[in-house]
Amino acid sequence: MSSRPEAAFVLLVIQAVLWTMAGLSALPFAIAGEVFMLGLGMASLLLALATCLLAIGILWRRRRARRWVIALEITCLVGSLLLLLLPIGANHGPVSLLTNVLLPLAVLVLLRKPREAFL
Amino acid sequence: MFDIAPDHAIGLYAGLLALPFALIAISLRPARRLVPGTVLAASVLLAVSGAIHLGLISTHRAEPLTALLFLMNGTGYIALSFAFTWRWWRLASASLLVATLLGYLVYIALGFDLPDQVALVTKLLELTALGLVLVPARSEPGRPRRTLRWVSFAVALPVLTLVTTSTVWIVALARPDAQHAHAGALLQATNDVATPAQTAAAAQLYADTKAAILPYQDWHKAWAAGYRPGGPTNMPSTHWMNQANVDAGYVMDPQRPQGLVYANSKHGPVLLGAMFQMQHIGQFGPDPGGPLTAWHQHENICFTPFGFEFSFMTPFATCPLGAIDISASPMLHVWIVNNPSGPFAVDIDDSVVKKIDRA
Repeated sequence: MSSRPEAAFVLLVIQAVLWTMAGLSALPFAIAGEVFMLGLGMASLLLALATCLLAIGILWRRRRARRWVIALEITCLVGSLLLLLLPIGANHGPVSLLTNVLLPLAVLVLLRKPREAFL
Repeated sequence: MFDIAPDHAIGLYAGLLALPFALIAISLRPARRLVPGTVLAASVLLAVSGAIHLGLISTHRAEPLTALLFLMNGTGYIALSFAFTWRWWRLASASLLVATLLGYLVYIALGFDLPDQVALVTKLLELTALGLVLVPARSEPGRPRRTLRWVSFAVALPVLTLVTTSTVWIVALARPDAQHAHAGALLQATNDVATPAQTAAAAQLYADTKAAILPYQDWHKAWAAGYRPGGPTNMPSTHWMNQANVDAGYVMDPQRPQGLVYANSKHGPVLLGAMFQMQHIGQFGPDPGGPLTAWHQHENICFTPFGFEFSFMTPFATCPLGAIDISASPMLHVWIVNNPSGPFAVDIDDSVVKKIDRA
């Protein structure tokens, strides 16, 4: 039996923790008076929670979780590639590439096959 | 934190070079069929992390203790990347990874080094390797301490990731390097001490700018001239931007500054100063006052169109959902109020704004 779902699970948990940090990082700005940042911070924390639940679904080899994760990672990848291409001064450092491009790409590669492993 | 230290770059090259060798070495070993893919992936990451550590020895020979630690770490990781069939492999790998992660955090907290991209890449690889080492796979034969490993995974991975991110961030903000100030603003490179000519030029720029913007102490006149608040007005201060001046690309023209900065006092907006801004990222403006009038560029800020608000990008390069990572083109402030940090400082001192609000 393939252990790809377990590897994808690990990457998704790391991604969820990184989004948790992003959500928490917005909160000091919300306290300082940026009201929208509160909403974005909470949305990030909810996304992190959803990613964690999807990771568990992947671990249990659920087809629906696989579909949602693929959609999520494609969205992340497209967004990250757009940021890389647009001249807006987005960070192009190795950490950014690893977190925002390679990590979603790795999850997609891990979940591409075998579909039959998912229930 | 978002730069690559020159003496660390070689570690990145060593890690990239090691990746194909690690993949080939594992594919050539018949024992790979005896273990799950998670173990093989962890072995590859251990090999890459080991190569990064070993690569850093050459540029740290002047620091014997650091070089020795790199040698021990690198050798340990490489050895473990080959020993994945060893009975105690998981325990040894997890212990070394956790010790390395915590050791690095202590190291930077004590000020022996500053976090940079190579260090952060290595920490991310180590965290991923730790997760892969601990996670139980269905394909594993027997009952290899699954409960203990799940508990270790559930505690170690989130906690270590959060602690690593927080520590790196706190250290980077508390001890910015010489070219960075004000939470990541990149300063223009200048000479160290202003010459008499530069001091005179800075004083002239200050006088010209102050004279030109004084009418805007009445914010209605600023509004009539095309300046609009560029962010929330419930913060201590707000930049009012003039889009026509931004688009025209005037360069440090005291008569047409791209922005004005107002304190949001209980009496209404109080003019604090002007802001000149260049059109393009990385294009610093003229610097007549040398170190006195150095421009600065805000990098790695998370900007959201909702309310034109911002926050800072995390060390692992993530922004809150709905915000994107951008840089703001170089800018120079001229403060017409008495700013303790100086009339051209990157930021206005909080005490000034509070004093105005109390007045």
